[in-house]
Amino acid sequence: MKRVFVKLLIRCGILGLIVTVPAQAIDLGDLVDLGNKLVKINSEVSVEEEIGIGGNLVSGLLGAAPLVDDDRLQRYVNDVGYWVASRSARPDLPWTFGVIDSQGINAFAAPGGYVVITLGLYNLLENEAQLAGVLAHEISHVVRKHHLEALNKVLKREFWTGLAVAASDESDNRRTLETLVNSGVQLYAKGLDRDYEFEADLRGVVLAARAGYDPYALLDVLTTIDSINPDSAELTVLINTHPPTEERLSRLAEGMDGRLDYYASGQSNPKRFLEVAGTP
Amino acid sequence: MKFRSITVLALVLLSPVSAGDNSGIVVREARVYSEADAGSAAVARLAAGTRVEIFSRAGGWKEIYSEQPATTGWVRSYQVREGIYQPDAESTAGSDSRGFLSGLASLSRKASSFFSSDRSRTSSGTATIGVRGLSEEQIRTAKPDFAELEKMDGFASGNKRARGFAQQGGLVAGKVPYISGAK
Repeated sequence: MKRVFVKLLIRCGILGLIVTVPAQAIDLGDLVDLGNKLVKINSEVSVEEEIGIGGNLVSGLLGAAPLVDDDRLQRYVNDVGYWVASRSARPDLPWTFGVIDSQGINAFAAPGGYVVITLGLYNLLENEAQLAGVLAHEISHVVRKHHLEALNKVLKREFWTGLAVAASDESDNRRTLETLVNSGVQLYAKGLDRDYEFEADLRGVVLAARAGYDPYALLDVLTTIDSINPDSAELTVLINTHPPTEERLSRLAEGMDGRLDYYASGQSNPKRFLEVAGTP
Repeated sequence: MKFRSITVLALVLLSPVSAGDNSGIVVREARVYSEADAGSAAVARLAAGTRVEIFSRAGGWKEIYSEQPATTGWVRSYQVREGIYQPDAESTAGSDSRGFLSGLASLSRKASSFFSSDRSRTSSGTATIGVRGLSEEQIRTAKPDFAELEKMDGFASGNKRARGFAQQGGLVAGKVPYISGAK
């Protein structure tokens, strides 16, 4: 009930703005973001805490699979990701991206602007727009704070906000933090709500289009994933933590239908992508 | 429209045997439309597994030709996959399922990850031969690697760098509203 009231308030706010601001300047999605932020501000963790939590969670993922030892590749993925994230509602986060050495096909995001993609998924990509599409999906999870909400559901708040502390050399503190990270990282084996995934798909393609990429590239990636035998070991975690790829495809195609055609002429930069991908 | 079909047919007949660069396969039952528009006339239905030639792409659509059953028209992009690929014939990801060039890129990257596997084994202690990293079990038992996080932070881009990168790649930022229905 409270939620409905809040939504109503936000909508009224938006209507108010529509009257006074030229239509072109309004981005409803961003306004809703802002509205949500203002309403929830007291109960929310600070940006600094968010970054701390995210960094520690990513350390957990990096403990399972380290970065691919290729500086050029890592910088390239950071350039693509940072550019896409700079078009989001949270351009000021310290956006950091990484390719991790795992043949599993997946990508993960953590609060505060951290995104990793596995080498297994990277190897399936054909061009920069597809990479941008995947990163944009993950960026959308961060922008919408999906992981914080998920943590909130499974762990007591005073527990998971302990994740915000920086790693120290003191062995006791370090052990406590390691235990905390270990519980937090379970999130990535469990996955987010299905609705969050659909939402990240829909927002991801818009973000890619805003960055000048062909937004349909994410559909192509999902098509590729959909054509791989779902029983392959490489897909186990992705399949267990996401809605069926077929359903993601049809919902995304339906959502995009006709609305983003104008942007389909966006770049896909296959040459630049292959230059980096093909020269280890 | 008829002229178009004849041109397409001629192209197909003139092309050397099938399996050219533009071949594709229907990955799920697809309705073929006369235009790249779901409001246009539906001219055929193609079963999953049908081989097609892909002529062009517009938005979320691909223009295709199918020999069996004989038809030309537009299908939704995600219903047709580029490259010759049989979903059932392959159980692992990545191998010959993509275009020639990207296949090469993938191969060379795989080779590089193979050669670096010794290094990752000593540094992280998590790598084993075969499918490495990030099974559900590995995520659940992961020990955080803070040094690796520091390394990752070191690769971060920045505003100026990203803008230069975008410009180099012909990327033009635009205002695109979120799709309604996206919460």
